[in-house]
Amino acid sequence: MTKAVVKLSHIYKQYGDNHALRDVSFDLQPGEFVALVGMSGGGKSTLLRLIAQLEQPTAGTIEYADANLVTRVMFQDGRLLPWMTTLNNVSFAAHDAKVQARAKKTLTAVGLAGFEETYPTELSGGQKQRLALARALMADPELLLLDEPLGALDALTRRNMQSFITKICDASHLTTLLITHDVDEAARMANRVIVVKNGRAVFETPGAKGESPERVARVADEVLKVILAPDDQAKEGERLG
Amino acid sequence: MDQTSESSAGKPRSFHVNWHNLLPWLIPVILILIWQLAATAGWVNSKLLPSPLAVVQDGVRLWQTGELPKNISISLYRATTGFVIGGLAGFVLGLANGLSKISWLLFDSTIQMLRNIPHLSLIPLVIILLGIGETAKISLVTIGVMFPIYINTFHGISSVDPNLIEMGKSYGLTKRQLFTKIIFPGALPTILVGVRYALGVMWTTLIVAETISSNSGIGYMASNAQEFMDMETVLLCIVIYALLGKVSDLIAKALEDLCLDWQTKGGAAND
Repeated sequence: MTKAVVKLSHIYKQYGDNHALRDVSFDLQPGEFVALVGMSGGGKSTLLRLIAQLEQPTAGTIEYADANLVTRVMFQDGRLLPWMTTLNNVSFAAHDAKVQARAKKTLTAVGLAGFEETYPTELSGGQKQRLALARALMADPELLLLDEPLGALDALTRRNMQSFITKICDASHLTTLLITHDVDEAARMANRVIVVKNGRAVFETPGAKGESPERVARVADEVLKVILAPDDQAKEGERLG
Repeated sequence: MDQTSESSAGKPRSFHVNWHNLLPWLIPVILILIWQLAATAGWVNSKLLPSPLAVVQDGVRLWQTGELPKNISISLYRATTGFVIGGLAGFVLGLANGLSKISWLLFDSTIQMLRNIPHLSLIPLVIILLGIGETAKISLVTIGVMFPIYINTFHGISSVDPNLIEMGKSYGLTKRQLFTKIIFPGALPTILVGVRYALGVMWTTLIVAETISSNSGIGYMASNAQEFMDMETVLLCIVIYALLGKVSDLIAKALEDLCLDWQTKGGAAND
């Protein structure tokens, strides 16, 4: 088995008296697309923030394949810089000599060629998310963390963006972690789906990426049942961590 | 089709643009015309309120004698020097207190206490300490300008979206890059509001300072003319202050347009 890009072991996170995460363990294999799915407040985003090193766990360890692992986060609200043009938003964190050329290439890859001098306020919701994706891809990350990136989009744009992100991640064999509360999205985009509920990773199943709509629906249904099941019915045998 | 687009994008549009440019000047022009009419028709005592034409003629006379350019330049010198010193001090303090909690704890309480003293009430103290020389007037402008710029710089920096700062950190920006690429541009709209407000304070302070304690400048010209009941010159000085204030505001607006052009962009495209 190849070395995991990131491995979480017995992670706990506490905010005062509130236990956001309890004994969570899982890993991400190279090139894998994993979706963390669950209801709001379940601890999904906390896990992403810990992996991105934006916060530290209260207990447990997070091991990275490389100490200098390049990780990039695509945030739900885009977090674009409104005073920078599209091109500068993509290139603002890069420092190499060919940064402009690479930024243009990345914008072309996400379908934003010709928008280089446009400001984020002039873009539609889908274009803004493409720009946020381009910015994340600009550093050639080894690990891409997607924090509910499509939550604010309409259904049609959302579906287009799902296949677009999947295609881009597959093309560069990018290890990706998607946080979402949409079970269909998780089933459609991921190789593996993990359900996070009340701060625990309670269920794991293979995703249906690239498979038939029927298979996607079956996986989504299975995941939804676990999310909606009362806590005591969560299968102990399938509990992770 | 071409004819239609020509007629809609041709003459009517240019008329529309000109009209919009002229509209802000409509009320001042009407007021001046009413003033001229009232003076010419004898509705007002022309010794107490001379006509606009008489004020202009007085202005031309004073310009030719060299008195007006000399006094305008000395007032401009005091205003800009005080603005630069006070603006820099306010900016640096706002920056320090916005970026460092220790600096904020150390300075903010003192600044807030000083800020609440009306700076024009310091005139007697300034005259006693510094006399009626340039230092006194420049100091008053400096104090007046410093606080609005401090408040707006501090507020601008401390209200930058923390999510953007977190994003910058997660994208590996250094502290310096974080400042130049996220914090300063994020605070700039609020800082420029402070600059615009401070320009108004600058002229108000200078008028009062020059009227009370000076032997040169536009304010001195006005108070000196008042001694001789020279109403043309008194009104001329008021008009000059209004014009200088308007020019300052136009400069501030141009600065905003230059630095914040991204704010005027908008209207999401269709996907």
